[in-house]
Amino acid sequence: MLMVDFQQLNLDRRKMTEKKYLETHEWYSLTDNTITIGISDYAQGELGDIVFVTMPEVGQEFSKGDSMVEVEATKTVAEAYAPMDCVVVEINSTLDSEPEIINSDPCGEGWMVKAEVKNLDDSGMLYQEYENFIS
Amino acid sequence: MPNIKYSPLHSLHVKNKAKFIEFGGWTMPFSYKGTIKEHQFVRQNHGYFDVSHMGRLLINKDYLQKISSLICSDLIELKSGKALYSIFTNEKGSALDDVIFWKYDDYILLICNAANTDKITNYLQTEEIIFEDLTEKTALVAVQGPEAISNLKALLPIPDSFSCLSKDMYTYARTGYTGEDGLEIMVNVEDLDDLISFLLQNEIEPCGLGARDTLRLEASLPLYGFELTEDISPVEAGLKWTLSNKNKYRGSDVINEQIRTGHHKVLKKFSIDSRNIARTGTKVKAGNINGIVTSGNFSPILQKSIGFVLLESQPDTDLLEFEIRGKFIEGNILKKRFLS
Repeated sequence: MLMVDFQQLNLDRRKMTEKKYLETHEWYSLTDNTITIGISDYAQGELGDIVFVTMPEVGQEFSKGDSMVEVEATKTVAEAYAPMDCVVVEINSTLDSEPEIINSDPCGEGWMVKAEVKNLDDSGMLYQEYENFIS
Repeated sequence: MPNIKYSPLHSLHVKNKAKFIEFGGWTMPFSYKGTIKEHQFVRQNHGYFDVSHMGRLLINKDYLQKISSLICSDLIELKSGKALYSIFTNEKGSALDDVIFWKYDDYILLICNAANTDKITNYLQTEEIIFEDLTEKTALVAVQGPEAISNLKALLPIPDSFSCLSKDMYTYARTGYTGEDGLEIMVNVEDLDDLISFLLQNEIEPCGLGARDTLRLEASLPLYGFELTEDISPVEAGLKWTLSNKNKYRGSDVINEQIRTGHHKVLKKFSIDSRNIARTGTKVKAGNINGIVTSGNFSPILQKSIGFVLLESQPDTDLLEFEIRGKFIEGNILKKRFLS
């Protein structure tokens, strides 16, 4: 009989993939002291076709709530805000030429920014809670 | 606000999983598979738009003279079987609405903007022009794209460009609002089934108002409420070519004076090379002349930001400076159409 330590498996999965969501429709995932930031599937659906993304620069500092990324869609323009105080360490430069990836895979390949956390604030909603929030 | 209206094709749109928006008092499809995809269907192949929200008024030919005194184009000399784009002007020479006429032997069909249907029907009543409002008795479907006509041949005899015909239950014209070839087809609500079957059998993609807007913008076509308003004349909107009415018409004195002096606002096309869309209401400067963006969006064909700007007067530079969310972004006035 194959024995699986479900508790351990769940914990590992959580550490790797669990995303939290903000009321402003960003998601972030925390690994060690770095957060990866993107926008939710709901947000990309509401925006429609994304045609330009204006990224911050590596090294740029943000306070929680600052506008980090500007997303131009055919329907409207939106901003993605910093979920906590952080410094940008990497940007997804693929989005420069293929911003539509945010539409097709907002929570995966469509990630926008990785940033080093300056003040941890892990107060985002879990998916279930976010789902209730948007419905 | 009166009750929101639904198109006779609404259940088809629901089946096609449309995202809806409210437009001119109607609930209409905004998009299905996505605005850019739908834009490309129309540019490369074909797509159909439900434009049943647009006003459709049937006017007896007896009122030709009277209508003619209210619009800037020559409807009287227009031959039966032809379509005409024109503008109802007010005393100031500005636009009450921009419309399409389909002229037949015994009657004229007037197609107006959804948001202006009440305004135009009230206006005609005030002018004692008798008409029948077909808007809610019929559907209007635009089939557009380079492949549209070759498909439509199986359904209808094809008129020349900007011409109209009627056959069986269909009243239609080779007109559109996308810059592509195609037909706009009106049919009574109870006779819609054949047209719907035709669209489904030929796998013509449904397209929403989102794509209709990016298509018309790319085709350099004005949208009422943006490039034309009760404060913008055909001359100011760069639509001098519509001024074929040689007789006196409402506001013609003002319009002729604008042409004579050249002292008027000017609508210009622009493009921007940076990754910003200058949307409606964006402030613009051309040298020391102020302006405002009337429409702006991303052009899927040109892969850049385009739009129209209304400037206070004729600028002496082609360089524009847009103020977009506190940043100053450069753009250029374009003399030619966006798409050649």
